[in-house]
Amino acid sequence: MNPLQVRQLVIDIPGRASGQALDFTVEPGQIWGVLGPNGAGKTTLLHTLAGLRAPRSGDILLGAESLAGLKRRTVSRQLGLVFQDRQDGFPATVMETALIGRHPWLSPWQMEGGEDLAMAEKALAVMDVSHLADRLVNTLSGGERQRVAIATVLTQNPGTWLLDEPTNHLDLHHQVAVMNLLKQQASEGRAVFMCLHDLNLAARWCDHLLLLYPSGDACWGPAGRMLVPSALESLYGQRLITTELDGAPVFVPVRS
Amino acid sequence: MPGSGECDITMLRRLQTLAATLVVGLVTAPLVHAGVCATDATGREVCLDQPATRIAALSPGATELVWAAGAGEQVVAVVSFSDYPPGATEVTSVGSHTRLDLEKLLSLEPDLVIGWVTGNPPEQLETLWELGLPVFSIEPRNFEAVSTTIEQLATLAGTEEAGFAEAERFRQGIAELTSEYRDAEPVSVFYQVWDEPLMTVNDDHLIGKMVTLCGGVNVFGDLDRLVPRISAEAVIAADPEAILAGGMGEENRQWLTRWESFPGLTASKRGNLFFIPPSLVQRPTPRMLEGSRLFCDKLDIARTRSEDR
Amino acid sequence: MPLSRSLTLPLLTLALVGLLAMVLSVGVGSVALSPVQVGAALLGEGSNLHQTLVLELRLPRTLAAFATGGLLAVAGALMQVLLRNPLADPYVLGLSGGAAVGALLAMLAGLGGVIVSGSAFAGALLATLMVFGLAHGTGSWTPSRLLLTGVVVAAGWGAVITLILAISPTQRLPGMLYWLMGDVSYARTPWPALILLVLACLLVLPLGRSLNVLARGPMQAAALGVSVRPLEWLIYVLASLLTAAAVTTAGSIGFVGLVVPHMLRLMLGNDQRLILPACALAGGTLLVLADTLARVVIAPEQLPVGVITALLGVPTFLYLLYRSR
Repeated sequence: MNPLQVRQLVIDIPGRASGQALDFTVEPGQIWGVLGPNGAGKTTLLHTLAGLRAPRSGDILLGAESLAGLKRRTVSRQLGLVFQDRQDGFPATVMETALIGRHPWLSPWQMEGGEDLAMAEKALAVMDVSHLADRLVNTLSGGERQRVAIATVLTQNPGTWLLDEPTNHLDLHHQVAVMNLLKQQASEGRAVFMCLHDLNLAARWCDHLLLLYPSGDACWGPAGRMLVPSALESLYGQRLITTELDGAPVFVPVRS
Repeated sequence: MPGSGECDITMLRRLQTLAATLVVGLVTAPLVHAGVCATDATGREVCLDQPATRIAALSPGATELVWAAGAGEQVVAVVSFSDYPPGATEVTSVGSHTRLDLEKLLSLEPDLVIGWVTGNPPEQLETLWELGLPVFSIEPRNFEAVSTTIEQLATLAGTEEAGFAEAERFRQGIAELTSEYRDAEPVSVFYQVWDEPLMTVNDDHLIGKMVTLCGGVNVFGDLDRLVPRISAEAVIAADPEAILAGGMGEENRQWLTRWESFPGLTASKRGNLFFIPPSLVQRPTPRMLEGSRLFCDKLDIARTRSEDR
Repeated sequence: MPLSRSLTLPLLTLALVGLLAMVLSVGVGSVALSPVQVGAALLGEGSNLHQTLVLELRLPRTLAAFATGGLLAVAGALMQVLLRNPLADPYVLGLSGGAAVGALLAMLAGLGGVIVSGSAFAGALLATLMVFGLAHGTGSWTPSRLLLTGVVVAAGWGAVITLILAISPTQRLPGMLYWLMGDVSYARTPWPALILLVLACLLVLPLGRSLNVLARGPMQAAALGVSVRPLEWLIYVLASLLTAAAVTTAGSIGFVGLVVPHMLRLMLGNDQRLILPACALAGGTLLVLADTLARVVIAPEQLPVGVITALLGVPTFLYLLYRSR
């Protein structure tokens, strides 16, 4: 797969100073977490990396080619994006929703075949929503919809996963299941890049972290170097108590 | 049921035409019309090999004119509201003039269709043409056109004698009124076509011409539109000496009562609020002569009242 | 291939129903003809009158009704996907208003025939550009903003239509009013509309899956490889063209573009590869039936078909709306 390379990138948030330009590469096998308070620009960054928004400056490369110069179809075979919020104007079943993940891979006249169906069925099984296959998505709970959305990208089968708060609405068990799934994807040679609210999930599963400050400043690097209590405290404006459990750091907010 | 005498006449005429066609065809070059021709209001020349025997009249006005032309017995199709002359109500209807039942019309197998230029859907008339039916479209916009239309219809229907006489009767009647009122004292007139919204006519409209004929001066005669929409205020500002109005029905003075509530209005003050049965003026037919006489009588009354003052 | 089979059965059923509706429409009229007589006329036999009635009057009119209904329903379905709003249709968005203004202006200038049709298409396209341009504005483009802009622009077209009617010479008024009323009896030839309907179906079929994705929102669609903006423009221009063709064939007929796609979605789901051809068939069928009613219900008086579609469409739509959730 082609690594996602970010070169001197400044995301475009109206009314905000450019701040620190981002410059890093998401290599196959890596799991990146983006941490930052509300409004820091995490979602904007993710959409910019997916090519859905133009950056203010800088460049994003998929392999050797600039993302902006590639066809959307080519991009969507390599990048999959799990959105934080989804709109559904028209009713659609869970199965149909998972199947649209095959869209980038099929020619205009081609119908979804047995192989595509099998991939969608497998994705639904992995996400533990097979029993909902014929239900309409808009009748599902938040957590079930989140799992269907991830199943869609699983069906899409991209080399690089971009995820916006993938654990939203999920219960503890499914949070862990999703993180394990992503870890498995990475171990199979794919790359994962996700925004996370939960500091501890990031500390537990991510090997690289990007801290995004509301001012536009940012810093990034291997997780071990980034999980510095003082840096995290200033990131969230919240005092933290730190300990270590099961080989990973654990952060708990101070009761004020 | 046409009388047997008429059948014979028709037969005879057909035989004559046939004989003429044969002789002409044998002796001279082809493409000589032995039938009857007339040019309609759209400028189209309509020719029939022989006079029409089954006529479809696609507006109430056309029906009256065909009857006036003496061809009432030949009418096989009319449209809704074809209520005059009384015989017209007996004829099969083929829908309203705005929306014709072409199927019904064709099933009556007419050999001449009298269309209405601004009343029938042009698409439907065009379809009839393409199906091979001669469509003669009419739109009389002045008194003389009423007479000439009657004469043309009489020609096409082979009823020249009766038709030309009726056309001449109308022409003469109008001419008499014209000379009688040429030097009449002018009376300013407002003619009310409709109540809500308030509508009148200009001088180009046939009703406007009736007003002018009788020595009236239409206070809205100079407006551009044939049937202008106006405000009550404009009527009060124009302050006509007489107000003439039709109504929803034949004996309905209702529209005039609104003007009685303006006692400052000259027409109201003098009691010059006149009802005119709309059937006598609204269609371009010989009945307009009767309507015109009524108009002139009312304006005469208005003149006496202005002298009384 | 379970999916293609699930497309075939509903489409075959709808095609069959459509065919039956057309047979009914050709068989029924104010002149009573027996099925044998109709069949003979279709084969070019029987009396001249019967042949004229069936081949020259009923058949072209039935085909024109079918084509118009199909065009309106497909245009409606496309607009609904575009706006991700089941209440969108060419009428709500002012496309037919623009087409009507274009046609009326041509008629006001005393022009006729092809120029009126071309002018109607230009009007629909102008309405398209206005709605898209204004809805885009300085900010972002959202379906609700587009819909609201469309509604306001449509109201504006309504005012312009009234203005044109108010200043038009009296002798041009009847022609204009027929045009606004919506009536298949004014259709001269069904072929342009029918050919356009077939072409439109062939064009949108390969786009079907992209439209399915677009129906889930432009961001989701872009993430799945759809070139969103070009596709949106294509849909809008196509919907304008279809609307203009429908409006120039039979005047303004409402509710077909709204009710038909909505009913089909309730019954068949929301796969555009199925819904769009199904709309062409069901929309055509609906208008054929409505026009048959309009012709015979109080014959020889003829009703404008728009009245029938509204009288059938409004209660059906309200019932469906009431029943769903």
